[in-house]
Amino acid sequence: MLFFLTRAFINIRQHAFVNVVTMGTIALAMFIASLFLLVFVNLESAMDNWSERVQITVYFDRELAPPEQSQLQQRITAIAGVSRATYVSRAEALVRFKSRLKGQGTLLEGVRADVLPTSFEINLKQQYRETGSVEAVVTRLKAIPGITEVQFGEEWVKRFNLFLDFMRFLGSLLGAFLIIAVIFIVSNTIKLTIYSRRDELDVMALVGATRFFIKAPFLLEGIIQGVVGTGSALLLLFGLYEGFMYNAGDYIPFNPLSSGLMFIPYEYCAALLGAGALLGFIGSLTSLKRFITT
Amino acid sequence: MIELQNVTLAYQAEAAALYNINLTIDKGEFVFITGPSGAGKSSLLRLLYGALEPTTGQVLVDGHNVSHLKPSQVPLLRRSIGVVFQDFKLLQNRTVFENVAITLEVLGWGRADIGKKTMAILKKVGIEAKYGQFPQLLSGGEQQRVALARALVNDPKILLADEPTGNLDEANKDLILSVFNEANIRGTTVVVATHDKRLIEQSHKRLVTLNKGEFVEQAHIE
Repeated sequence: MLFFLTRAFINIRQHAFVNVVTMGTIALAMFIASLFLLVFVNLESAMDNWSERVQITVYFDRELAPPEQSQLQQRITAIAGVSRATYVSRAEALVRFKSRLKGQGTLLEGVRADVLPTSFEINLKQQYRETGSVEAVVTRLKAIPGITEVQFGEEWVKRFNLFLDFMRFLGSLLGAFLIIAVIFIVSNTIKLTIYSRRDELDVMALVGATRFFIKAPFLLEGIIQGVVGTGSALLLLFGLYEGFMYNAGDYIPFNPLSSGLMFIPYEYCAALLGAGALLGFIGSLTSLKRFITT
Repeated sequence: MIELQNVTLAYQAEAAALYNINLTIDKGEFVFITGPSGAGKSSLLRLLYGALEPTTGQVLVDGHNVSHLKPSQVPLLRRSIGVVFQDFKLLQNRTVFENVAITLEVLGWGRADIGKKTMAILKKVGIEAKYGQFPQLLSGGEQQRVALARALVNDPKILLADEPTGNLDEANKDLILSVFNEANIRGTTVVVATHDKRLIEQSHKRLVTLNKGEFVEQAHIE
C-alpha cells in the first residue's frame, strides 16, 4: 500500500500540470455543489424557523384551576407530535389583547378579562408540522373533554406546507442536476488525465504488471485529486462565507452575523470530502476500464 | 519454447493478417522474421506476447497457450518476455533509471536490488552515465538502448524485437545487435522482426520470411 501511495504522489509530482488542472476542475465543480448546499442548508434552517409558527390553540370557556391546568397540560403533551403546551390565563389573554391594540385603548374600555377565553398554545415537533400530522393532532385534541374550540389556521398551514414542499422539490431537482453535472465533469476530467497517460498503462502492461498493480496508483491519485479538489472548494467557500459575514453588513440592509446564517455543518463537509474521494475513485476506475484492455 | 500451429489471425472484415502459419522456435534460438510492410511480422510478435489472440490455431509460448489465456494470466506470460519496439515506448516523464526499474518494480523486487540490477543492465548497454536523464534528451540510439535494458533487466526467457533498428544509424544498429547476441548467448530466445537486410546478413541466424500474412520460406543465413 505504501508503495502505491508513494507512486501516486510521485505521479502527481511528475504530472504536476495535468494534476493541478484536474484538481482545479474538481474544485470548481465541488465549489458550485457546496455553494448550493450552503444555500440549501440555510433555506432549510429558515423554513424550520418559519414552521415554528405552525401552532394549535385550544380554548376553554372558563378559568382552569392549577391542578386542572397541569392535568390537561400532561394530557396534551402526551399526544404524539406535541412538543410544548403553554397555558394562557384570562388575565394574560387580556394583557396580550391590550398590547396588540396599543394606541387604540378606548376600544378596550370596559372590557374585562372574564369575557376572554382561557387557552393552551400548543407547539408541534418539527416532523409533525405537515398538514396531515397537524390534523391528526387536532382530532385527538378535540376528543379531550372541556375544550370548546380548536384553532390552527388550517389554510395557512396548508399553504405554508405547500410552499415548503415546492421549495424542497425545487432544491432536490436542482441538486440532482448539479450532482449529475459534477459527476460528468469530474469523471471526464479524470478520463482526460488518464488518456494523456495511456502510454504508461501500455508500458506497465507490457512488462507484466497485473491489472491491480497498474490501477492502484491511478485509483489513489483519483482519491487524492477528489479530496484535494473538494477540500480547496470548501476552503474557498468558507473564506467567502467569512468575508460575507464580516463585511457584507455595510452593503446590505441586515447584519449577517445576527441573521442566523450558518456555514455547512461539519458532518456535511465530511460527507462532501467523502463524495469527492468517491468521485475521484469511481472516475479513475471507469476510465481505467476503458484503457486497460489486456 | 515457441510454437505456432495452423495460426490464422483475421482483423474484423479484413483479409487475414496471418494465414495458416506453422512455426517452431526452440529454446535459445535466434530467429529473424522478415518480409515487406504488411507481411504480418508485427502481428506475429503481438500474438507471442499476448496482445492478440489467434482467430484459429494454437500459439504456445513458454508453456502458455496464448489462444486460451485468461486476462489475469497475461501478466505472467509477459514477465518471461522482453519486448522492444521501433518507437522505443519509453515514458517521457520518467528518468532512464525509472524506465528500466519499472520492470523490476512490477515483479516486486526490493529497492536495493532494483538499484543494483538496473545500474548493471544500464552499464551493459553503455548508458549508465545517463541514468538520471529523461528520454527526450537522449538520441534515438540511446533511447533504444534504454528500451533494450528495460526488456532485458529481468533476464527474460524470450526477447521479442519489432523493427528495433528502424530509427538507428549503423553504429547503433551494430551495438543493438551485439546486445541481442549477448542475451542469446546467455540463453535467451531472441525473435527479431525486421526488414533490415544488412542486420540479417550480418547476424548469420535463422530467417523466416512472410509475405501478405503467409509463410514464404525459412533459411539459415551463413
